[in-house]
Amino acid sequence: MRGSRPDSRGPMWFVVIAMLAAAVFPWFGPPVYFISFLYTVFLYMCLASAWNMIGGYAGYISFGHVAFFGIGAYAAALLMKTFDLSALGTVLSSIPAGVVAAAVAVIVGYPCLRLRGPYFAVITLCFAFVVDLAIKNLPIVGGADGLWLKAMDLPIEISRAVMFELMLVLMVVTVLVSAKISHSRFGAGLRAIKEDEEVAQTMAVNAPWLKIRAFALSAFFPGIAGGLHAYYLTYIHPDIVFDVNISILIVLMALFGGGGSWLGPVIGAAVLSLVNELLSTFVKAELARIIYGSLFIIVIIFMPNGVIEFLGRLRKASSAHHGTSETAT
Amino acid sequence: MGAVYALLGVGFSLTWGVMRVINISHAAFGLLGAFIAYTVLKRWGIDPVVTMVFTVPFLFVAACLIYRLVISPVARAKEVMVSSMIITFGLAIILENLILLVWGADPRLLTTSYTSKCFVLGSFYFQYSPLIGFAMAMVGVAAIYVFLKMTYTGKAVRAAWQQPDAAQLYGINLKRISMITFGLAVASAGAGGLGMALLYSFEPTSHNLWLVHLFLVVIVGGVGNVLGTAAAGLTLGLITGFSLAVLPYQWVNLVTFGLLMVILLIRPQGLFQSEV
Repeated sequence: MRGSRPDSRGPMWFVVIAMLAAAVFPWFGPPVYFISFLYTVFLYMCLASAWNMIGGYAGYISFGHVAFFGIGAYAAALLMKTFDLSALGTVLSSIPAGVVAAAVAVIVGYPCLRLRGPYFAVITLCFAFVVDLAIKNLPIVGGADGLWLKAMDLPIEISRAVMFELMLVLMVVTVLVSAKISHSRFGAGLRAIKEDEEVAQTMAVNAPWLKIRAFALSAFFPGIAGGLHAYYLTYIHPDIVFDVNISILIVLMALFGGGGSWLGPVIGAAVLSLVNELLSTFVKAELARIIYGSLFIIVIIFMPNGVIEFLGRLRKASSAHHGTSETAT
Repeated sequence: MGAVYALLGVGFSLTWGVMRVINISHAAFGLLGAFIAYTVLKRWGIDPVVTMVFTVPFLFVAACLIYRLVISPVARAKEVMVSSMIITFGLAIILENLILLVWGADPRLLTTSYTSKCFVLGSFYFQYSPLIGFAMAMVGVAAIYVFLKMTYTGKAVRAAWQQPDAAQLYGINLKRISMITFGLAVASAGAGGLGMALLYSFEPTSHNLWLVHLFLVVIVGGVGNVLGTAAAGLTLGLITGFSLAVLPYQWVNLVTFGLLMVILLIRPQGLFQSEV
């Protein structure tokens, strides 16, 4: 957060070292399972951070962000199909895929961003459904059969490790952009919109323009992520890349960590991915999802501003009472 | 069919209008009612319409408890709508998976003694199930309307919706009224879900699709507007019926979603209301 600037040097170095450690991790030959798991964590960190640009900073809760992810996946897959791209070309084609997603966001966002609160949430959800249904029913893009992509002709360990590195880079870039926005005038404008849009506008904040920009940016990164993910999966189907649960997961992760700060979604994504993985390993799927649903409720009731602020408050309260931070865990 | 949407929509509209709570789990509760009716029918052969006698009160009590536990803590928050949406999203996931756990993922059909029987009137064939669903829904909507207009509690609900602060000044217990509204809405969802089950097959994930229709009905009808919601429900029934006749099946939902988006953009306050 803004107040913790001076002492954030130490953690910064820690983060850099952690990222470097993560980057070399796959080359020590760990089981593919761990690489895949961390890949998923990075994917969600990227998605949640991107969502946060419009959902967290500006308070426009989008329940349809998976649409941009799916559009990116399909755009990259179609580019590969039509131009018969090589491995490198396919990876690079995720960037135009991101641009496509951002362009769609501008077109959709222009009318939709005039709606607020629940109306915006509903229309974005609807948008995701519409895109999903449309792609399912259009035979040109594979329809309900999905699309097959050429796999990388590398052994699975290597190809997984390559995708891992790519996703790591994308995640770091997304988080950096998100942090940059958070500390900029742009971010301040978005926060003003969240507080009170009318007041913000009278204070010379160009709300529609800021919102469109934030929305496009927050669609751009999921678009790229979708493109990479398509290549990672090598088979894409509307039910997979337009799964509404992804949308909901993104929202939950960002809110769990705390939507106001750039760090929140990163932590939320890490914690919830871990919880999800543990739950689905140890309990029945239905039960896991029941626990997951309960988590939604608990988070909103007890930590409306996210876990970071919640912990901060706990620490403050305990140090005020005992003068120590022993209970801060 | 449209009438059943109306019955489902009325409760949804009430919680939205009165309490500013958007209950994503509304349709899931309806689905729960349908599954209970299914089991009762299978095990004891009791007609689904009769089952309502106990599912509706049961859902009412359950909803009041849920209100106390999870909704009232956020009812005072600044952004009730968004936080309530996320909470009830959680509820919907819990309900869906409870149903999955108990009943499994197979699609179900309520097969009663009168399913697929019909009577002939002139040159028209009338099936019994839709007619029963229609009648049930009409009675339900009418009952809610009468309750709101005629009884003291109903008037208090409307007062709380129009002027929450003033209503409180006049000695209306807002918390209690909200609880009753929520309970009533969920109970009516139970009846509506049963109505849907009479017409279509259902499975644990059906509530998502029902929910989109609910949004459509409520937004078109005007939030909190019982008669508008009923009218919108009937219209939606006609539109889906018509698009089923002219379009391939998989495009029908696309029409519904598209319609909802367009209406949201043009008239978010609803077609039957001049201003919010």
